[in-house]
Amino acid sequence: MLLASAGNVLVWAVWMGAAFACLGSGIAVVSFSNPFFSALALIGNLASLAVLYLLLSAEFVAAAQVLVYGGAVMVMFLFVIGYIGPRQDSPWAGGPSWQVVGAVLAAGALFVEIVVVVGLKASGSLAHQAKIDSSFGSPSQIGRLFLTDHLLAFEVTSIVLLVAAVGGVILGHHSRRESAAGARALGVRETRPGQ
Amino acid sequence: MLVRSVSERHAPANESWKPMLGPSVAWYLCVAAFLFATGALGVLLRRNPLIVLLSLEIMLNGGNLALIGYARHLGDGAGQIFAIAVMAIAASEVVVGLGLVVAMNRKHLTLDVDRLNTLRG
Amino acid sequence: MTTGAWICLLSPLLGALLITLGGTRLSRRGAAYLSTASCFVAFAGALVSFAALLGKSGGDRHHVSTAWTWIQAGTYRSGFEVLVDPLSVMMMLIVSGVGALIVAYSIGYMDGDGEERRYFAYMSLFVFSMLLLVQGGNLILLLAGWGMVGLSSYLLIGFWHERPSAIAAAKKAFVMNAIGDAAMALALFLLIQKTGTLSFGALDAVHSSSVANLVALGLLGGAIAKSAQLPLHTWLPDAMEGPTPVSALIHAATMVTAGVYLIVRTHVIFEQAPKVQDLAAGLGAATLLLAGLIALVQVDIKRVIAYSTMSQIGYMFVGVGVGAYANGMFHLMTHAFFKALLFMAAGMVIHALAGEQDMRRMGGLRELMPRVRLAFLIGSLALVGIFPFAGFFSKDSILAAAMDRGAYGYILWVAGLAGTFLTGLYTFRMFYLVFGGERGAFVREHFHELGRGLVVVSMAVPVAVLTVLSVIGGWLQWAPFWHPVETWLQTVAEPLVSPTNWQEAVSSVVALALGLAGMGVAWMVYGARRWAVPSAPFWQRTLERKFYFDELYDTVFYRPAVWTAHALANWVERPLILGSGPEIGTETRDLGGLFARLQTGMIRTYALAIASSLAVLAIVFVAVK
Repeated sequence: MLLASAGNVLVWAVWMGAAFACLGSGIAVVSFSNPFFSALALIGNLASLAVLYLLLSAEFVAAAQVLVYGGAVMVMFLFVIGYIGPRQDSPWAGGPSWQVVGAVLAAGALFVEIVVVVGLKASGSLAHQAKIDSSFGSPSQIGRLFLTDHLLAFEVTSIVLLVAAVGGVILGHHSRRESAAGARALGVRETRPGQ
Repeated sequence: MLVRSVSERHAPANESWKPMLGPSVAWYLCVAAFLFATGALGVLLRRNPLIVLLSLEIMLNGGNLALIGYARHLGDGAGQIFAIAVMAIAASEVVVGLGLVVAMNRKHLTLDVDRLNTLRG
Repeated sequence: MTTGAWICLLSPLLGALLITLGGTRLSRRGAAYLSTASCFVAFAGALVSFAALLGKSGGDRHHVSTAWTWIQAGTYRSGFEVLVDPLSVMMMLIVSGVGALIVAYSIGYMDGDGEERRYFAYMSLFVFSMLLLVQGGNLILLLAGWGMVGLSSYLLIGFWHERPSAIAAAKKAFVMNAIGDAAMALALFLLIQKTGTLSFGALDAVHSSSVANLVALGLLGGAIAKSAQLPLHTWLPDAMEGPTPVSALIHAATMVTAGVYLIVRTHVIFEQAPKVQDLAAGLGAATLLLAGLIALVQVDIKRVIAYSTMSQIGYMFVGVGVGAYANGMFHLMTHAFFKALLFMAAGMVIHALAGEQDMRRMGGLRELMPRVRLAFLIGSLALVGIFPFAGFFSKDSILAAAMDRGAYGYILWVAGLAGTFLTGLYTFRMFYLVFGGERGAFVREHFHELGRGLVVVSMAVPVAVLTVLSVIGGWLQWAPFWHPVETWLQTVAEPLVSPTNWQEAVSSVVALALGLAGMGVAWMVYGARRWAVPSAPFWQRTLERKFYFDELYDTVFYRPAVWTAHALANWVERPLILGSGPEIGTETRDLGGLFARLQTGMIRTYALAIASSLAVLAIVFVAVK
């Protein structure tokens, strides 16, 4: 029992650390003026979230989070931020005066509402947790679910990814005329691949 | 993992279930709510489109956390499936969003969401 | 025999349709021939029905042929049916026969007009409508025919639509007829309510006196509007704006007699409402006097004949009003002959004088148009009722029937005799003004021979035929000695009066004497120019203003209506309706502008809106749960 409670204390400690890291990095993302730092803060956020997923017995999702989000999405973000170049703006400036007040009120209201509801239900339906077995959250279970119960979601998601890839290519397509115009504006001769 | 070995050592041998240690689901939901609200603030108050996209990611992650929490609470793997799908969708959305930002940059537009308001009535 | 009736009914309709659909593919003369042929085919069909009906015995002479069920609503059922019985066959023969002759006359009269196809289509339409009216097997079809003849009349009066006076006259005719139509419709509504059907049998049912009075009053209203009796008579003189054959066919021979036909057809109701029948007779008597007086001062040749028509139909109303239905119908028949003849002869005079209708410019046409003069003379003699021409036999028997009616009948008798004197006077005034005297300057300048071609032949042959009929047509019935018309119509309408031979003799002699007296006075004043026209300026003015009826109606009906229309336009339409239109527009635009301000184009504003509504919705969901 002591070791069980020790395990519990450990879990609590890990949870506290991960949770605060999560919240802090979230605030950091929206507060930094330099987008590069914001992106780095987001990476921290993703990592702490992965820890929280582990605590919730979602091992596969945690791994996917780190690999997909951290390894792919954030890398892309950093690439683009680097490409765009240095840009700093004061975080809370501009816009109509009621925008700030309204935003704080709306976000605050959302947060308070959710917390209140959760608090109200904490002793009711949120008190009894389901019993799960050890294969819960394992890759085999995820794979089985994807290919049996949620096959449609699986397929549709893959189509969405395909569409996004196509969209990305089209958005990034450098038309000849544009590049020629750009080159003329800069006063250089347009270079073509291979020359 | 540390948690599993501890519980397995003290669980009855013929039972194969895992209790949830640590905070109950309610705490996770509060964290998720905070993440969501923070992301919303970022979307509403920042003018750089890149930061807006990052804030959107935070909101999506908040939602994911809630999903995973409920999956554990109800013992249903569908929540995790949903969370993976959300991740995929978020990735696609980021692709398109960043593509747009790059295109805007190429056309030498100011990267300020307040200035990009030609779709007005 | 009903086949003959169907052919009679549908042949003019087919003619009208073919002319309409043919358009310019049909030559103008071709349209004329087509229309005439369709009318002659109709006459043939009527003859076939007549012959078939002759072959049957008296009681077996009521045949109905239904084509299909036209209206069916609950227990009410109306079929599209034609009725072949002695009364309808008599009317069919008159309408199609005289109609065919007049349409043939139109070939020559309307030659060179330019819009002949339209004219002949309308004429065929009219013949069809009139046949529908007389052949209809139930009251609904009668009403349908009634309305359609009103329409044809409107179209034909306003035929020369470039003339504003013609258009005004057409509108006047249509509106006054509409008043009558409304009265008739109300009567039919009442009948449906009380009996649930509109077959002719509905009239046989015994009604309470108030219902019978109302129904009869409504039907009488329709009749007097269509037949131009007091008080709805003012449209007939104006209707002379139409071409002369139109006046001959519609406003002399057939349409205006529809009122008489209606009363005979529905006499069962009138007999249940004797006061209304007396009213009909009284109105007829008043009209015949009024029209006779007004005709004395008219200078337009066609208007004299129009007032004469009004007057003669007054006689017919007197006849059916006292219950002498067969006499009334017989006078209808002879009147069709000689009135159409007079109109057509007048038409030839008008054509010869290049369209001039003012009698003061005519005169001295005696040697220039001898044959037309002869036709005119015979028509006039028939009209006045001189033995042995047609009018004598029919008109005098009506007067005799009035004598048999009792005290009220004697009043009608006296009125009728006065009317005979007036008839002689104005008819021969017209005759001497046109044909007698010296040739005036106008005649010398404008007279031209009508020539010898098809045009003249087509005009001359019908005139000749009608001249013969005006002579011998009356010999069909001479009441004291032989009366086949009365026998023929007995199964349909049993007369209420039967004058004795003595009454017939007295009426005939007195009427004849008065008619000759009128002719004599006219000859003295206008023919031999021995007496001067008496000058009585008050009466002259009153008669010329037609007893101020037009002014009366103008003040009582027209001006208030116009005032109401102007008031509504100024106080209701302009401020409320027309003003609110642009107002609604500006309001909507302002509202739209207000909404447009919401679309700032700034994403952050939109996102804030979404977040706020999300916050509110979350509360709502939780609260509802």
